[in-house]
Amino acid sequence: MTDIKRRSPMVFPQEAKQVEKQGHWAVVMEYASEGEGPWIIDLSHRPRWDLQDSDLSRFKPFEIDIPGKPGQCRLENNVLANRMNRTQVSLWQLTGDRLETPEDTAFTSTMDVTVCLAILGQAVFSIAEKLSSLDFRDPALSTPRLFQGPFAHVPCQMVIAGQPDGMPGMLLTCSRGYARDMVAAILHAGHEFKLQPAGQLAFDKWVAGLA
Amino acid sequence: MSRLQNQPTLRVDTNKPLSFTYKKKTFSGFKGDTVASALFSGGIRIFSRSLKYHRPRGLYSLDGECSNTGMEVNGIPNVNAEKTLLEKGMQVKAQNVKGSPELDAMGFMDSLDRAMPAGFYYRTMHKPARIWPIALQQVRKAAGLGKISPDFRMTGEFDEIFPTTDVCVIGGGPSGMTAAIAAAETGLRVILLEARPWLGGFFDYRQSEFSRDLPHYQRARELEARMQTLPNIRVFTHTAMVGAYSNNLVTAFQIGNEKDPFDERYLEIRAQSMIVATGCIERPLLFENNERPGVMQIACAHRLANTYGILPGKRAVFSVAHDLGIEAALDLFDAGIEIAAVADIRDNPSHAALVSELEQREIPYLKGWVAREALGAPLKSVSLTTLQGTFEKKLECDLLVASAGMTPVTGPLSMAQAELAFDQHTGFFLPKSLPVGVYAAGRLLGLNDSRAIEASGQVAGLSAALNCGKASAQALKDAQEMLAGRPQAERGCNLVMAPVKGRKAFICFDEDTTVKNIKQAIDMGFDATELIKRFTAAGTGPGQSGIPGHNLPLLVAQHHTDHGALTRPTTMRAPLVPTLMATYAGTNHLMSKRTPMHERQKQDGGVMRKIGVWNRARYFSDDFSCRREIENIRNNVGMLDATTLGKFRIFGPDALKALQRVYVGDMAKISPGKIKYSAMCNEDGCIIDDGVVVQRGENDYYFTTSTARAGITVEWIRYHTRYDGWDFNLVNLTDAFGVINLAGPKAREVLSEVIDADISNAAFPFAAYQEFTALDTIPVRIMRLGFVGELSYELHVPGSWMETLWDALSEAGKPFGIANFGLETQNVLRMEKGHLIIGSESEQRTTLHDVGLGGLWDRNKPAVDTVGAVALQQTENQEKRLKLVGFKMKNTRTPPKDGSIVVDDRIRGHVCIARYSHTLQEAVGMALVEDPLHAVGTEISIYEDECQGQLVSATVVPMPFYDPKGERLRS
Repeated sequence: MTDIKRRSPMVFPQEAKQVEKQGHWAVVMEYASEGEGPWIIDLSHRPRWDLQDSDLSRFKPFEIDIPGKPGQCRLENNVLANRMNRTQVSLWQLTGDRLETPEDTAFTSTMDVTVCLAILGQAVFSIAEKLSSLDFRDPALSTPRLFQGPFAHVPCQMVIAGQPDGMPGMLLTCSRGYARDMVAAILHAGHEFKLQPAGQLAFDKWVAGLA
Repeated sequence: MSRLQNQPTLRVDTNKPLSFTYKKKTFSGFKGDTVASALFSGGIRIFSRSLKYHRPRGLYSLDGECSNTGMEVNGIPNVNAEKTLLEKGMQVKAQNVKGSPELDAMGFMDSLDRAMPAGFYYRTMHKPARIWPIALQQVRKAAGLGKISPDFRMTGEFDEIFPTTDVCVIGGGPSGMTAAIAAAETGLRVILLEARPWLGGFFDYRQSEFSRDLPHYQRARELEARMQTLPNIRVFTHTAMVGAYSNNLVTAFQIGNEKDPFDERYLEIRAQSMIVATGCIERPLLFENNERPGVMQIACAHRLANTYGILPGKRAVFSVAHDLGIEAALDLFDAGIEIAAVADIRDNPSHAALVSELEQREIPYLKGWVAREALGAPLKSVSLTTLQGTFEKKLECDLLVASAGMTPVTGPLSMAQAELAFDQHTGFFLPKSLPVGVYAAGRLLGLNDSRAIEASGQVAGLSAALNCGKASAQALKDAQEMLAGRPQAERGCNLVMAPVKGRKAFICFDEDTTVKNIKQAIDMGFDATELIKRFTAAGTGPGQSGIPGHNLPLLVAQHHTDHGALTRPTTMRAPLVPTLMATYAGTNHLMSKRTPMHERQKQDGGVMRKIGVWNRARYFSDDFSCRREIENIRNNVGMLDATTLGKFRIFGPDALKALQRVYVGDMAKISPGKIKYSAMCNEDGCIIDDGVVVQRGENDYYFTTSTARAGITVEWIRYHTRYDGWDFNLVNLTDAFGVINLAGPKAREVLSEVIDADISNAAFPFAAYQEFTALDTIPVRIMRLGFVGELSYELHVPGSWMETLWDALSEAGKPFGIANFGLETQNVLRMEKGHLIIGSESEQRTTLHDVGLGGLWDRNKPAVDTVGAVALQQTENQEKRLKLVGFKMKNTRTPPKDGSIVVDDRIRGHVCIARYSHTLQEAVGMALVEDPLHAVGTEISIYEDECQGQLVSATVVPMPFYDPKGERLRS
């Protein structure tokens, strides 16, 4: 009998300490040696959508008011809404029970389009600086904030989410096919800062601090 | 040699010795030494031999302004030893010597200078032309370019960062630090780059007073400490700026220390404002034998003593034109060197007190005198002369400290497109105007007063901040007034060269260019400095014009009796400071895409190849003809990972209009549950893409493109509908769906094992589209296609599910002999079927008609509404176009190589693909040929590379070669 699984495009060689089955996903909740951070966390199993329409004002996805300007984000009800441009919003459910794709045709599930990961820790901007020329350190930046541009030469969406407990974090999505090379590039860039994979528990705790 | 221990300015740690080897002997230096300072301390005076004349060369600037100390270090040639920090165990070798640097068998070249006038190689070595290859080899053997093993592999970590900042300050001297502090105190982010391993610039090694009881070096430490209290300043030491580009993009490279995780790091900094505070280097004094070991610049001698604790000689003569020269003479005297005389080109020093101090030490001070010739090798004496050459005197010495004054380091300003003009007062090339957001500060403006230098930094820092919208205009005005209250730029030395003929007065050390060579070039009619630079090679060496950069234009201007308006510096280009190619390459992460089946396919023996942005399995065995894979598809069933296909959703009220615009077919004719195959053309009617479209709902379509076009399809459609104001949306789903091509006569049996639905030929015929649930769980979109010419299904499954579905099909297919197949097998199968791949059987000039797909074009659509349709109308019956044909080889076993040309009396086309067909038992292929050759039955001749004139013959035949009625794919 076939074991029906959904698989993330990311693979970390570290030993998992706690794995939880979420639907058909086997999600690593914690790794054996996560250290104190910085961390890289696989969020590919979290639902994501693209909402696209010429009149976004008629939508209130998951009861969230869509941010008005490109680059602005709003985190409500565990869902991060990132305004991409005049007609488009990306929606990432960060925690909580899995939400279903809304029935309106303007929504497209993008969970399998992209890989999604988080980089958390004091060194996040030092790591990012090695892979992108985007100005994530801009002190005038209000968070959460969406960036769209190259990261390790790959077109990405990146959200600088905030600094709960003084721990800044970046959420990143890029084409699923780039997952392995993207993770390798980030781990290589983060090696000097002792970047380690961490499980969803670390992420959930961090997100709770954002609220 | 023992080191001076009591210098408070020392940068070496004499408690940490480091050993290294040179000339098979072990030498010792200290932490903080450069390779050159450690060698000098160990008694080495000749570091290399010069490029052309093999003249001995020694320490001259300590800042890498010339290639005198170019050496081989750890197998890497042309390493600048005076800028390379010493590390334990280094293997150092001299380069460009036959024998030793002290006794070089090629030293006789120095006497052949008359045989090598300016541009001699341009003028002589092409007559007769056949000797040039021989001469070239000999020139290369004799020239000092260093040697590197072809097997050499660069080791080390080469990092890169791309920081953004508000203000970027180039130079960590007093003005640079002051500027950084001023800008940072307004709250801005500041990055400061300093080429040396420490901050302080020309304050760092000076023990003279900045103010009462505060020596210059202490003042530098104060400024550094102040900067450390400002967290918004990032300081990069040992970081040389190498380029400046539009919008203040500054590039640099940093040399790592033992604590850094990198050996070298490339920096690409985007700044809103840029401050150049690079200070000055010394303008070399031109006299006979001015580059002889034992001759060095003021700062070189001064820093050897004060920074490295090494006395540069025992008895010195100074020939200077700046107060810093007198200050160095006093310091070196106090450190224990006998000073035979200080010759000063100027009538008076700027600070008379310095002369009094010379008198107190009974050091002879010769006003209006200059070095005429360095004598002896190594240096034994120097001949001094009055400026007019009237009187001469000869003094014994082993050290000649020589300099014609200062010259600003304007490379960064020049690269930032600042306009530089010669200033008669200072003798400097000064910025006449600066681009917006670029500022200059410090000594490079001609300032000499230490407080004025700092004040100029304050002005530059506030100006930069104001440009970022931070500083107040009043604060800037106050700083400007403070600067105005300090001594202004001093008069510089106008002497270009001593009164000598210049046969051995070197204007460029790197290229062995003498003053005489410059005169020769001018006599031959060269009048522009840039042309003379190229003809004589002056300034084209690794020193990047450090030595000749200022003197060359002045010398040329002097010959033109024009010392003013027309004097121009030569153009500076990146890299301003040479560095390793590995540093420019950086970490070089190779970013490519993998399908969900990548690892599994590798485990199954897939030979992966990078094709475009994707990694794909090309073969599954060592047999690159793929016979077994091919036969398995024709007889059983196989699976291909076709995930890389472009996949898109287009929806919205005007989605159909957009499809109609870019596809040549009538997309309104898409039937529910059916696929429509169509093509896209560019405005010239040339085919650029093909794929299938299905309708999934009202105004909701799903379509595929070729792999190559996946990345640009959204942009293509948006571009071609940009004026229409249509309401439609596009989502790129290329990575969202894995695609499994299940093909072969037994494909239906295998598929039925995972799909609980009627997929019989009647229920799910060729060209049908349906959405199923596989394994009762996995949503899958299936298209009934036939690219490889067999019964075939294209399963589009969400990426996260793909591995599971693939495994299930593999398991279900075992009884039917299922096996992987790769791209090469697909390539042969589709060729046999006569199916083309855009880009393989088409090229830039081929229209839809040329490749035999004219039937896809719906002529009932208004041509103006379809991209390329007007051109299709015009070219449809055009003669002499390339046409796609099928051919069979006369020699049925051997296909020609892809890309071979079709010829008769000229080139008539080319082979797109040709393979030996195991199915057909003969070699067949497709070619693009000019239309007289496209008729069936025509014999064509094919020229392959390495065929040695033996053309191979083929006959044009109808296509497809395999299953012409399409019965198998419809079965």
